Amino acid sequence: MNQEASLTGLSSIRWSATNHIGELILNRPPSNEMNAVFFEELDRLLPYATTRKDLLGIIVSGAGRHFSSGMALDELLKNITVSEISDHPGDKKDHVLLQNYRSFLRLKATPIPVVAAIRGVCLGSAFELALLCHFRICTPEAVFGLPETTFNLMPGLGGIRRMSELAGKAHAIELILHGNTFSAEEALAMNLVDAIVPKNELHETAASFIRKISENYRKEKRPLYLTRYLRHHGTAEDTTL
Amino acid sequence: METIGNITWEIKEAIGVLSLGPPPGNLLADPVFVPSETLIQWTSDPSLKGIMVHGKGRHFSAGADLECLTRMAASEERTAERMNDGKKILSHLEALPVPVVAAIQGVCFGGGLEIALACKIRLCAENALFAFPEVNHRVLPGLGGTVRLQQTVSPAAALTMILGGDTINAEEALRVGLVDRIFPREKLFSAGIALLQKMTRNRQPEVIHAVMNALRHSSTMTEEEAMREETRMFCKLAKKESERRSSEQS
Repeated sequence: MNQEASLTGLSSIRWSATNHIGELILNRPPSNEMNAVFFEELDRLLPYATTRKDLLGIIVSGAGRHFSSGMALDELLKNITVSEISDHPGDKKDHVLLQNYRSFLRLKATPIPVVAAIRGVCLGSAFELALLCHFRICTPEAVFGLPETTFNLMPGLGGIRRMSELAGKAHAIELILHGNTFSAEEALAMNLVDAIVPKNELHETAASFIRKISENYRKEKRPLYLTRYLRHHGTAEDTTL
Repeated sequence: METIGNITWEIKEAIGVLSLGPPPGNLLADPVFVPSETLIQWTSDPSLKGIMVHGKGRHFSAGADLECLTRMAASEERTAERMNDGKKILSHLEALPVPVVAAIQGVCFGGGLEIALACKIRLCAENALFAFPEVNHRVLPGLGGTVRLQQTVSPAAALTMILGGDTINAEEALRVGLVDRIFPREKLFSAGIALLQKMTRNRQPEVIHAVMNALRHSSTMTEEEAMREETRMFCKLAKKESERRSSEQS
């Protein structure tokens, strides 16, 4: 898909590229709730954004005070269908939730670093999105959680798997079944975020981190970085930069 | 309360408590420490939301009863059969779709540690001691413990325990990630029950099962398969919740 078609009429997402860093901003303030439109736009944007050859990395963040409160639950429950999901990719059109899941995985398989810069609340599907980014940096006031089970649901976009990889099974089970929120400090202690920085330094920290990694690339440390990266994050779709 | 051999089982408020015996050492006379069909029957109660495994008295379990093991080992074929049956029991415990918590005090050696490693969450008392002493008897942990330990702690820490036969205390176990939390001895049991209650009290069994199955799939399935299965389970729960909400409104 060419650039114009990918970027025409984005409303729930703001996308820009400045100084070789892509900015993906969840843009439905104040809570940046992730509705069907958001996922449709993400699906449209990512094939373009994640394969641009001129970018060093991508920062994912939320417009305003919060990262995102997660999925628009009422809309989701109203439209839910339990259509048969086949066991073979490509058999028929994927269930819409499977498409959403694939979008998140596409972010994870991006061959340049994707950093989530998190302020305020980061809950449910939004936390799952952050967990599928390669790095998470947050402010001291950030609040995290996977509260799905408190609504008789489950995290459905890879959060269970990612959380147990990062924090271990015991923490994952406890946090997911209890469904409670937790602080930036607690998230750091459980390896669910990589760094806590003051609010006014959040964006610059994410950007300088991306620049530093790309510097390592240029100093021919790239093979090492890519090997490590692929081991931790599965096979990238396109590893030739 | 149900008893078979030295093992007892009781469900209280949807939490099953599996108690290892006989005290003081809770030695396991056989790799099949509880008959497979009994464990399956006990754990298939549809109201069950979580399980706690602990030892009767002051210890979790000192592991295999060496006398019984030596007798059994006279026949290589018989040993292999019993070990494989023992592995099936631990695999069953590990694959259950409800959280299984081990509450460990005193010694947790050999077969005892194998059982603890098949649990998803390990809590221990300040006086807990952990070891795979098998190497001192010129054998190795035989119920999957070598694999489970490496998945739980770093390869270096696993080798130190398996090859060195070293005993480690609660603090060291927490540091290497073998246990998840330490409690004072007198509070351990109630802390384990409280943790299970906190996680499961307001949850429907099908929600617990879906979460635990998704977690298990992340180590037994490819990402693609696990993803499809997760979406399937999510849709089922969402459909049910959607129906519940509309029936509440009407």
